[in-house]
Amino acid sequence: MAVTAGAMPASGATTQSAGARLRVEALGKAFAGPDGAAVEAIGSVTLDVAPGEFVAVVGPSGCGKSTLLQIIAGLLLPSSGRVLLGDRDVTGEPAHMVYLFQQYSKSLLPWMTVENNVMFAFRHRMKVSQADALTRCRDYLAMVGLGDSGHHYPWQLSGGMQQRVAIARALAAEPQVLLMDEPFSSVDALTRLDLHSLILDLWTKKHFTAVLVTHDVDEAIFLADRVVVLTQRPAQLAEAVATKLSRPRHSIETREAPEFLALRHRLLDHLLTRSGRTRDANPR
Amino acid sequence: MTQSAAARTAAEIPRARSKRRRFFDSRVPGVVLLLALLCLWEASARSGLVESVNWPPFSAVVASLVAGLLDGELLPVVLSTLWRMARGYAIGCAVGVAIGAAIALSRPLRLLLQPTIELLRPVPIPAIIPPLVFLLGLDDRLRIFSIAFASFFPVALNTHAGVRAVEPIYHQVARTFGVPHLTSLRRVVFPAALPFILAGLRTSLGIAFVVTVIAEMIVGQEGLGYYLVTMQFAMRAPEMYAGILLLTCVAYLLNRAFVAWEARAIRWARLVETMQEGAR
Repeated sequence: MAVTAGAMPASGATTQSAGARLRVEALGKAFAGPDGAAVEAIGSVTLDVAPGEFVAVVGPSGCGKSTLLQIIAGLLLPSSGRVLLGDRDVTGEPAHMVYLFQQYSKSLLPWMTVENNVMFAFRHRMKVSQADALTRCRDYLAMVGLGDSGHHYPWQLSGGMQQRVAIARALAAEPQVLLMDEPFSSVDALTRLDLHSLILDLWTKKHFTAVLVTHDVDEAIFLADRVVVLTQRPAQLAEAVATKLSRPRHSIETREAPEFLALRHRLLDHLLTRSGRTRDANPR
Repeated sequence: MTQSAAARTAAEIPRARSKRRRFFDSRVPGVVLLLALLCLWEASARSGLVESVNWPPFSAVVASLVAGLLDGELLPVVLSTLWRMARGYAIGCAVGVAIGAAIALSRPLRLLLQPTIELLRPVPIPAIIPPLVFLLGLDDRLRIFSIAFASFFPVALNTHAGVRAVEPIYHQVARTFGVPHLTSLRRVVFPAALPFILAGLRTSLGIAFVVTVIAEMIVGQEGLGYYLVTMQFAMRAPEMYAGILLLTCVAYLLNRAFVAWEARAIRWARLVETMQEGAR
């Protein structure tokens, strides 16, 4: 019943890939509702993400897209189905996948300096000396343009800078898959454009597989190789579209390209007017 | 930040209008009241308003305190009390943090221990010292146990509340990076709960002080509590008041030192709060 989205070959920028293939097979999730009855959040979602691919998941708010991402990250257990990283079943076991939270101000630990926050992500996994860990941490901070802010505390930085720290911390763990839960939704519009370019830049350099959950269609098209549209709750795959925009993408020009606008039109049309009918066309 | 600073300045403008208001808005009246009460004490004893050998003037008490400290009589007494208190307090706090965290993290442990803790918590310590004598004898074990017992509850309850109040997202952050449980406990749960834990430690510090002196009064022949009782029996009022004065000063200083240390240890929590208020 569910639309199955096959993996797309990753675009030119990621020919040499350190990312891993991520497969979500018939994933379902039901919660106990207030009256005790099961509320189905995710119907059955099957998704195949190629190594190094950048996939964006969009859907109406409350459709369960964050739940989907949390299950992939191992922060929640699915009710049915499974998650595979490469050939390994990783359901419920976070391994080589890092979750980037929407609430950057809460996801950074306020009692640690920026440097310690970043080192917290990998120090326990890598048996390296303090000096090596610090060098590595500073490399990642420099990559997000915060080479000088290591000694500050997160709450001394602006929102955009805090999210940069969170990105540096996530990548310092060298994940094969980076899972992003609306990471740019609580910064101002201009900072958001900056962060979009930053994340694409890092993705090009580090070749991780990326899954972005967002309600912002422009953001999804701009960043992703493929945009996956979910239906309303219980979430099903409604549509999967390859963006086919050339890379590297440009903050202004890419967003004005006819292909971009055509895709934007199509997806917004789908989300605004057809999502209800799509659900009706796929009775469970 | 700038907004709240501006708001503060605006609020201060009317205050600056009158000197009288500024006086009553400062620390000065509190100190003046304290000095006035001490003068009243001095005057009442000197003028014969209160005529009693048991009511020495404040100056005589201070003289006796200085003498006691100089001739080496008081210092060992105070140190013995502080050392006893430190041991009991340390044991009570350590067990309190451990049990509080354990019952917060484990539901079976919570169900197992909570009824006992809730039942024992309201027991007044002086009431159980006499029966404890049978179990623990008359030596320091009894007194240290009493201090530890009394220090335990505020620490355990605050740690419990603090650990349960840790933001769920902090746990998720530790999980997404695959941080081992023990590391996560030490580097995430403990610091996140620290503001609560320190509030418990501060409450217990005052209680430990009280219980130490009471325990010394009831049993044993050491410490300030015993010294006070002895001086009372010996009708040496200036020495007795000197002991109380010293006790007051030590307790005050201990509390001030703790508050200063606490403010530094959890500076982040206060600043995060200010930032969030500023953002609103």
